[in-house]
Amino acid sequence: MLMPRKTKHRKQQRGRLNGMTKGGETVTFGDFGIQAMEPAWITARQIEAARIAMTRHVKRGGKVWIRVFPDKPVTEKPAETRMGSGKGNPEHWVAVVRPGRILFELAGVDEALARGAMERAIQKLPMKARFVTRPGVGSTAEVQV
Amino acid sequence: MADITLVVDPARPTGSRSSGRLRAAGRIPAVVYGHGIEPISVSVDAKDLRHALGGEAGSRALLNLVIGDGEHLAMARQLQRHPVRHTVIHVDFQVVRRDELISAQIPIVLVGDAVAVHRNDGTVDQEMTVLTVKAKPADLPPHVELDISNLEVGDSLRAADIALPAGVELDGDADSPVVVAHAPRTGPEDVAAAGEGAEPAAAVTEPPDAS
Repeated sequence: MLMPRKTKHRKQQRGRLNGMTKGGETVTFGDFGIQAMEPAWITARQIEAARIAMTRHVKRGGKVWIRVFPDKPVTEKPAETRMGSGKGNPEHWVAVVRPGRILFELAGVDEALARGAMERAIQKLPMKARFVTRPGVGSTAEVQV
Repeated sequence: MADITLVVDPARPTGSRSSGRLRAAGRIPAVVYGHGIEPISVSVDAKDLRHALGGEAGSRALLNLVIGDGEHLAMARQLQRHPVRHTVIHVDFQVVRRDELISAQIPIVLVGDAVAVHRNDGTVDQEMTVLTVKAKPADLPPHVELDISNLEVGDSLRAADIALPAGVELDGDADSPVVVAHAPRTGPEDVAAAGEGAEPAAAVTEPPDAS
């Protein structure tokens, strides 16, 4: 699973998930992509599950890009512990995703296969997401005003 | 290519809240600049803009911008879009001259089917999706085509291999690869997970800007 090699600080504050993504909203590397429609924390486990669902459906050929990285540690207190005694231990890693962010990209397969693979991957994610194509690919008009 | 007349309103209040109100009223904030003119904040009717840029020339259409009493020949240099709705939220109009060469990015469209690559389970990787060219505004094509039907595994096609129309010249590195035909790749994790005899699965690449 994806996780940082080393971090400056072991624990982070939670932060807020307001607003839209500040970048990474266009399909840049491949022809097709999955775009987040809601804000969410995506765990490394969910990213890996989505990637496996996609690559298994594609079977052969194709190239996958993962456009998010889980670099935020999430802490949890052990079960049946009284409150207090400081913040819990880092348990897993999440990627902070705001609406509009492209999560995965895919190239080298036709649109029908890409759509099938990405719809399976979307099922593994904790928020609403949609299949998008790069402008100029397939049926997408180059300019949509 | 006939010019399209687009009437823009130069009396636009600046700021994000005023711009939001403009968009709600069916207008799009824009700016006009270039050729030594002082940048002008304008707004344009969303429907008129859609008609102007929805033609054959697309976003490279030559526009005759009517700003108050003056007129400028311009092109839509950049369209900013809403990240989720994909609607246009701002337009940059650049003033151009008919007789002057300008640099623009043109989409590359792959034509044909790389039969030899697919027969060997290879993949066609398009490394470059837009081509930077230099041309007079009226000569800019809506897209350029690259035929990949004779591509073999291990071959690559470069920017210099793209046939450009008359009056259009390449602006940039002619040796940059546009399309590369890769041999089938095997992901070690997927093979381990699927057991022996598994077919090569899709390769995973982490983009340089992943964060």
